[in-house]
Amino acid sequence: MSVAALRDNRAVWAFGVLGVTWLAAIAFANGFGTVSSVRYLVQTASFLGIVAIGQTLVVMMSGIDLSVSAVVALSAVVCAQVASGSGGAAGILVALAASVVVGLVNAAGLVWLRLPPMVMTLATGTVIAGALLIYTDGSPRSARIPLLDTLANGSVAGIPYATVLWLAIAAAGVWLLHLSRLGRYAFALGTSEPASRASGVPVPVTTLVMYAACALLAGVAGLVLLGFTGTSSLTMGSPYQLLSIASVVLGGTSILGGRGHLLGTVAGALLLTLLTALLAAWNLSEGLRQVTLGLLIIVLLLAYARERRTA
Amino acid sequence: MSERIRNHMDVLGLCALLAVVLVTYQRLDPTLLSPSTITILSAQFLPLILAAVAQTIVMLTGGVDLSLGPVLSLGMAVFVVTAADGATGVLAAMALALAVTVAAGAANGALVAYAGLPPIIVTLAASFLWTGVTLIVLPQPGGHVPAGLVSAYNLGWYGIALPALAVVVALALWKLVRTTRFGLALYAVGGNEHGAYASGIDTRRVKILAYGFAGLFTGLAGIGLAIQTGSGDPNIGAPYTLNSIAVAVLGGISFFGGVGRMRATLLGALLLGLLTNLLLFTGISTFYQLILQGVVLVVAVAVKTLATRERTA
Repeated sequence: MSVAALRDNRAVWAFGVLGVTWLAAIAFANGFGTVSSVRYLVQTASFLGIVAIGQTLVVMMSGIDLSVSAVVALSAVVCAQVASGSGGAAGILVALAASVVVGLVNAAGLVWLRLPPMVMTLATGTVIAGALLIYTDGSPRSARIPLLDTLANGSVAGIPYATVLWLAIAAAGVWLLHLSRLGRYAFALGTSEPASRASGVPVPVTTLVMYAACALLAGVAGLVLLGFTGTSSLTMGSPYQLLSIASVVLGGTSILGGRGHLLGTVAGALLLTLLTALLAAWNLSEGLRQVTLGLLIIVLLLAYARERRTA
Repeated sequence: MSERIRNHMDVLGLCALLAVVLVTYQRLDPTLLSPSTITILSAQFLPLILAAVAQTIVMLTGGVDLSLGPVLSLGMAVFVVTAADGATGVLAAMALALAVTVAAGAANGALVAYAGLPPIIVTLAASFLWTGVTLIVLPQPGGHVPAGLVSAYNLGWYGIALPALAVVVALALWKLVRTTRFGLALYAVGGNEHGAYASGIDTRRVKILAYGFAGLFTGLAGIGLAIQTGSGDPNIGAPYTLNSIAVAVLGGISFFGGVGRMRATLLGALLLGLLTNLLLFTGISTFYQLILQGVVLVVAVAVKTLATRERTA
């Protein structure tokens, strides 16, 4: 088999597992075959899906972004706060700008201070959490912004806008990661950083763009969530920190970087959302649900995400 | 400069910082060195110190434990659910809680050793698993910790600071473990896994033992937290995952394994804990403590990284 086929293999696996799980859900659980349930599922999956696409961009260059959860909250909280004074459009713009700044700070720490990605993004996440506490004095606002409301809850031809946005972002992500020059640099960095430095890969630019894009997408997800719930909270991003990484890995991308396909992450996010919905449908207690989810993730990872033992 | 002296410099730097913080602290709170303050502070710092010790052990093998917080909650939950009044009841509950957390840690280690999955993914998936198990054991905050134990632990027992004693005993235990073959093998596996394997070390066994020991210290942290707060909470462990990583990194433990000293981790935990308390005295809102924590982390690691690079360049 060619190298390219091998690389794509795992993403195909992710779609295969997703298909089988979905069929099983339709066959064995009630209400998973209806159009409305599918619509609800792809709508709720889009929040996680958007964050996970950003996470894929940095994981592919063997980075990791632990600050996405904080950025999701940052964007929603800032948007709600600014919108109450100067209107929805201003709120959205300020929120997205703030998110990009976080991404640039992350990248700056990696490039110029040479911090490990885990440390830098952990630190910015902590600082943002503290800054939000001070900014909101501990009680963030709620906001109804018509544009975000439509984006999160409306639909066109039966497909939720949130899903359309997710797929559009996925398409842009595929271009950035798999078709553009920067994407090739990211893959090179993920395979071997010293080798890519030696062969002239512009490490600063690649890092800045990928981390800024990741933070921007987390910010977008925060806005869509704000539209969906109509309220912002300081912890609204917390689930996305680990789940976005899980989506990337279940989508067949190597956590060590350099191998995988962005579309696999779309399948990974859908799979996680579907599993969560299935477990909820079975009326299990919260504890049993988490145990099952954890075990299922481990089994799936054992099935197709094992790293080959390389030197 | 040799590796040995550089490690020494790390510890010296942290000691100097800690001395500055301690002197400032003493000025703001003259009771710092009184037994009652030591008892309160050590009860407050014990969970973070022991969690950081656990994280350090895993990081020395070149791994990272994202399920530390959930395992801490699990230890706490098992302890508060089973603890009965009386010394035997408490000791039995402690033994059971530690057995559970050691088993959880060893299960993580077995997956890392045999499954060929990177530690970060294994422990990420395991974090969902252990969170779930904790919620089954203790669905809501509550549980029972004997009142006598709580007051003896937090207020001193015949003038002895029990939490401080517990930390000292735990660290002495680790010191002992470090002198065994396993202690040496731990650094060897983290420093160069293939080299360690080639020189006859059973690398899988070492990893399982390391994660098992991490489970032990995490369980102790959970029990300490339960006695400090007097009850159990299934979600209270969550922040300890990232905080323990922050403290270990502050102490100079490398993500790539094999580099770092436990005493530096201890200093890092004390430094972070005292700094946070200092903020309280200065009257700044506690909201700033997260910002301080993040900034301290970045500055500490950046200074170390840049200094090391200049010396090697």
